[in-house]
Amino acid sequence: MKLSHVLFSLGVMTLLGVPAYAADMIRIGVPVGLSGANSVVAPSIVQASELAVDEINAAGGILGKKVELIVADDASGAVGAQQAFDSLIFKKGVDVIISAETSAARNAALPIVSRGRVPYIYTSFYEGNSCNKWLYVNGWVPEQLSAAIVDYLQKRENANTFFLIGSDYAFGRGVLEFARKYIESVGGKVVGEEYLPMDGNDWTAIISKLRAAAPDALISCTAGGAPNVSLGKQLKSAGVNVPYANMALDEGTAKDMGNVASGVLVCGSYMTSLDTPENKKFLAALENKFGKDMKTPNELSVPQYEAIYAYKAAVEKAGSTKGKDVIKALGEVSVTGPRGTVKMDPETRHAALNMYLSQVQEDGSMKILDSFQNVEPGPQCRNCR
Amino acid sequence: MSICFDILTTAALLFIVTSGLMMIFGVMQIVNFSHGAIISVGGYVSFVLAQLGIPGWYGWIFAFLVGALVGALMERLVVRPLYKRPLDAILATWGLGIVMIQIITICFGRGIQFVDAPLQGTWHLLGTDYSSYRLVMIPVAFVICALLVALLNGTRFGVRTRAVIMNEALAESLGINAGLIRFITFSIGAGLGTLAGMLITPLSSVDPYMGVTWLTSAFMLVMVSGHSFLSLLFTCLVFSTFQVLVSTYVNPVLGGMTIAVLAAATLRIRPRGFSRD
Repeated sequence: MKLSHVLFSLGVMTLLGVPAYAADMIRIGVPVGLSGANSVVAPSIVQASELAVDEINAAGGILGKKVELIVADDASGAVGAQQAFDSLIFKKGVDVIISAETSAARNAALPIVSRGRVPYIYTSFYEGNSCNKWLYVNGWVPEQLSAAIVDYLQKRENANTFFLIGSDYAFGRGVLEFARKYIESVGGKVVGEEYLPMDGNDWTAIISKLRAAAPDALISCTAGGAPNVSLGKQLKSAGVNVPYANMALDEGTAKDMGNVASGVLVCGSYMTSLDTPENKKFLAALENKFGKDMKTPNELSVPQYEAIYAYKAAVEKAGSTKGKDVIKALGEVSVTGPRGTVKMDPETRHAALNMYLSQVQEDGSMKILDSFQNVEPGPQCRNCR
Repeated sequence: MSICFDILTTAALLFIVTSGLMMIFGVMQIVNFSHGAIISVGGYVSFVLAQLGIPGWYGWIFAFLVGALVGALMERLVVRPLYKRPLDAILATWGLGIVMIQIITICFGRGIQFVDAPLQGTWHLLGTDYSSYRLVMIPVAFVICALLVALLNGTRFGVRTRAVIMNEALAESLGINAGLIRFITFSIGAGLGTLAGMLITPLSSVDPYMGVTWLTSAFMLVMVSGHSFLSLLFTCLVFSTFQVLVSTYVNPVLGGMTIAVLAAATLRIRPRGFSRD
């Protein structure tokens, strides 16, 4: 840039009242489900993003450039995601997309990401095997969850027979299929596997079957929200008290459910009670920034926070924000955040994660019972390129 | 044995959820698509009462009164001009249902609320442990049925209601205030809906759409059973038997469809359904 150009643009910006660094910013696009199914968790994702960007800017930005966050509503679905991605990439000209979304939204948006040649870090747990040249994932996939839950039930609860209950949709069936394969591979036996439609709320017949099968342990993966809650209530009221691992329960919901969820095992890569300096610092910063409006950080918002730092590390390693360079660097950097040290693998495009198994206590709080270090995501994306 | 309890308690819950619709659709012939939203209101009534620290059992009466009040307002403001235009009433009640669900969403948010069940645990009965709350629903359904049958068949109000339904003009010429009868009947129906919403909260989640999932089954049951509460009780028992058996021995996904399929089949073979006249 010639000096005269710089002076000219500075002059124009002063006239327009735009901050002088606006032309030289790094823009992070966050399409997220502010409306629709994800609207309950979306605010926590936005808060985590805002915190990460604030911290990075306070520490001097990335490569000396300030970072700007652009949040767009993807309406938790395919059509909304296409509009949000289109607008972020082609109108707002973002340098990267970092967000936790529904699988429908992600799948619909991937062709737009390819067309725009923008790196995309997906920060939600999901059913696995979504692969694209521009995509990295730092949330868990079923392989990681199944291993931790089944290992725990087998070793600590001496469970040999398992009963699986799910909602009849891609995520529910996908996750439980991995669980079944994993159980069989380690010598356990699945004595029942039952599904109810996604909007189903009457688990009566399934609970009767469960009682008749008398398994050593129960694993469920329903759609989040209503079906999960109705299953929990009906299990409780039916007096079922086998060890029960719920793959679709998050900490915030468990807290609200109180004694309905007590005793339930929950697995994930993040728990608020993690006793690490990084997590304590993260929680304190979040509380300091948002006060009483702070949303409980969770399995979606914490990977989001870490992914923004991963992007920072990758840009600094690559020395530029050029898509191709950043994608290469993303597979080489690692970030130590609230969940521990996370490195995304350049081959699988997913990350080995520390998984934690917790039990919901009487008062709704979580107690970490066991942890599993560096659980591999399995053979993701090997055949995709 | 537990399968018998499954059948009986499922029938009881279906009856409880459907009785309000029966009053409005079965008896008054108003296709009330806002019944789902009315049930949701009941769930939120129990949530608010729990927040205020009022124990669950008292809430049942309160839920009925709140529902009756909501129903009274609906009848006055929206439904009353539409008695002679049944197709418009379908659209109006459907829209009203959407509005009510959105109001609930604005007031309480989209998220799920939690209410403690008034009765927890199981009872040991006939050689099996079964959910005590579900068992309680069986006598509750019978009591509701008995009260409604007594109201419609044993009181002067019931006679007038039937007169208005059969021939409104003739009834009015005999000095019956048809508007008032319809107003009261609609309010009772809505009250039964919110009561049902409160009664199912210990078994389902409290969210704005909690009632909507029951709507299809409720309509099917009312269409098959005509306008008698006894035949509704009988229909619930027959259909829930099929639903539980299919869910248990075939597949729960198919089980969820049995009521709709059976209702269609029944009406095809016998258009009057299970009603006697």
